Order: sequence, then C-alpha cells, then structure tokens
Amino acid sequence: MNADAPRMPRTIAEYLDQLRAALRGADPALIQDALYDAEEHLRAELAEQPGRSEAEMLAKVVGSYGAPEEVAEIYRDQEVKIQRALRTPRPAKQRSLAGQFFGVAADPHTYGALFYMVLSLATGIFYFTWATTGISLSLGLAVLIIGIPFAVLFLGSVRVLSLVEGRIVETMLGVRMPRRPAFSTRGMSFWQRVGAMFSDPRTWSALFYMFMMLPLGIIYFTLAVTFLSTSIAFVAAPLVKVILEANDVPYGSCNGSAVVCGWVDWWSSWPGTFCMSVCGIVLLFATLHIVRGLGYLHGQIAKHLLVAGTVRE
Amino acid sequence: MEDIAAQIKKFQKELSTGTVSLVLLAVLGQSRQPLYGYQIAKRLEELGDEGALAGKQSALYPVLRNLEASGLLASEVEPSVSGPPRRYYRITKFGRDVLREWMAAWEATRESVDKVLQGDWR
Repeated sequence: MNADAPRMPRTIAEYLDQLRAALRGADPALIQDALYDAEEHLRAELAEQPGRSEAEMLAKVVGSYGAPEEVAEIYRDQEVKIQRALRTPRPAKQRSLAGQFFGVAADPHTYGALFYMVLSLATGIFYFTWATTGISLSLGLAVLIIGIPFAVLFLGSVRVLSLVEGRIVETMLGVRMPRRPAFSTRGMSFWQRVGAMFSDPRTWSALFYMFMMLPLGIIYFTLAVTFLSTSIAFVAAPLVKVILEANDVPYGSCNGSAVVCGWVDWWSSWPGTFCMSVCGIVLLFATLHIVRGLGYLHGQIAKHLLVAGTVRE
Repeated sequence: MEDIAAQIKKFQKELSTGTVSLVLLAVLGQSRQPLYGYQIAKRLEELGDEGALAGKQSALYPVLRNLEASGLLASEVEPSVSGPPRRYYRITKFGRDVLREWMAAWEATRESVDKVLQGDWR
C-alpha cells in the first residue's frame, strides 16, 4: 500500500480537513460546495444510525460516498464538465487588431458587467446603509440586554447578504462563486457558533466589502452612465444636425474669440458631425472594454473579500 | 488484466455521465414528497453495486446541483431535528416535460443498442 496515503479519518471534521487538503488549489467556490455536500451527507448518515460511533460510520462511508481524494477527483471532474456545458461558448478569438477591438460587443460578459455597474449604485447604497445601521445599533445597544442578540443577528444577516451578492456577481460577471454557505459550525453549541461567527475573518471581510460597495457603486455607476451617454451623444451628432436643420432651430451660434468660434463652427458643420460620430463609435467600444475590464476587476475583489477566507491554506 | 479493468472503469464513467442525470430526475419524478441527497443515495444503493450507477455517492450531489441550475429541479433547505439542515429537491414542471423526452430518447437508444449487440439487425 502507499506509504504516504493519509490515514483513515476518524471524525467528520477530520474527513472534511482531508477533503479540503485534497482539493487544495481548486476554485475556492468549488471547495465550499464540496465541503457542504460532504458534511450534509455525513451528518445524515450519522443521524440515521444513532448507535454507531463516528469512526465506524466513516469507515463505511469511505466505501459508499468515497474517500476524500476520490471525492476531490469527482468534484474536479464535474467542474470541468459544468464549465463546458453551462458556459456560453466563447466567441471565436479574433486575430486582427480591429476584430479584437470590436469583438468586445459580442462578449456576453460585457453586458453583464454593464448592468452590474448600473445596479451597483442601488446595491451599494443598500449594503452601506445596512452595514452602518447594523454596526451603530449594535454598538449603541451593547449596554442593553438586547445588544448581544442584535449584534449576532446583524452579523448573521451580513453572511446571508454576502451569499446573495455572490450569486449576483456570478450571474453578471461570470466569476465562479459559492452556491452554498460555508458551514463549519455543525456540532458546536449555540455560543460556540456565535463565537465562530465573530472570529471568522470572512464575516469581517464581507462587512468591509459592504462598506466598500458604496464608493465603488458610485464610481461604477458614474463611469458607466457618463461614458455611455457621451459616446451615444457623439454617435448621434449627424442625426441631431438633420433634425435641427429640418426644424430651423438655430444652433452653433458663438460669440467668443475667433479661435474658439472656428472650432465650434467646424464641429457643427457636416464633416465635423460625421467626424464626431466616428469618434463616438470608437469611444463606445472603448467604453465596453473599460466596462468589461472593471467587471473582471470587481469579480476578483468580490472573490477575495467574500470567499477567500473559506480556504485555509 | 490491468488494462481491462481500466477500460471498464473508463467506460462506466462515460456511461454514467448521462444516465445519472436521467435516473436522478426519474427518482424525483416518481417520488410523492421532496427528497434530500442522502435519501436519494440510499434509494439508489438498493439497486445493487454493479453497472454505471454504482459509482461513489458523492458524484450525485454536483449532478443534483446542475439539474437545479438548469431549472429541472427546485430545492429548499429545511432544518432537521437530528442533524444539519437538509436540502430537499423536487421536480419542476419543466423537469417533468424534460424527463418525458429523456425517457423517450433512452428507450430509442436502448432498443437500437440491444439490436446491434444481439446481432439481428440486418
């Protein structure tokens, strides 16, 4: 037999530790899901046969559910299949420079990221309000008897919200996030669980994320709206000129210095508006690139603050 | 002999890819109440330990989650008295329609495969 094979797990916690070790290097979200499933199955098995000890149950389960390394392999395998089956196929790689530049419009992640950036103002305000209200009420009520339960409830809500935000981020930005909460608190008493929640760095990083979402949301929203409206206004310049001319609306009047007025006159002439329209198209696609890049960046931020703490390396 | 064992394992793995989804959907389609992962695993255990469905039970959970993600199953978490909260799965309306189609596809495949294997097809 293999000499450095890990020894037989004797407790559920040990089994989960071995599984976590076997999955080292995999996607943190995948690890969280795998641990959740294993824990649910093992606890159910244990509850089914009350007479048995944990070690006996585990010896049997390694045969039916799989040893930690086998389970790790199954999940890695599945993940590859899911990626292949569920992800929309990536558009064919464009080789030419122009193809790469304009290809961004065919990437579904671009529009997900755009929608996320607009939405982030609303979610950012909500998270920030929730976090500030929760913290100040927790501190303020700390002197009263209801202070502790309130703080516990508040931190619990932060963890639930972090899971919800994870789902939003995965749908919109295409970054794999956990689908199940991390629960490592099974078998602990209520007070141990509360303690674990306070000492888990993830609780605090999620809280920090909620604070960060207000400034980030404002920045994202402003960038998205400003760039989009500017580039669309540029693109539509000739159309605006047609409408204004047809209705005899005066425009392009100027009473500044000759240099400025020459500039204004040129841009409101026909060649000028068409030139502006071309600039608008370039700006529009550049905006889509910026949006996609910011979406990717935010996905990484979310992953680090909302998930990373689960994986003890 | 090593080679044959490896080939069997590979073949069963490939066979199980589609059949496990079909079987899980069918189990939930026949069940009157929602089931959780462990219950489904125990039911399948009664089928015996031969063939493509006898793989490790841990393989069922990701498949359940995929079926849910594609809208064939719905799930909810309920706390249980004796252990951890359990995720109960039930089949959706869409899942039932898909199951009917999958069963037809399975019947057709099985018939033609049987015909070829028995050698009386032309």
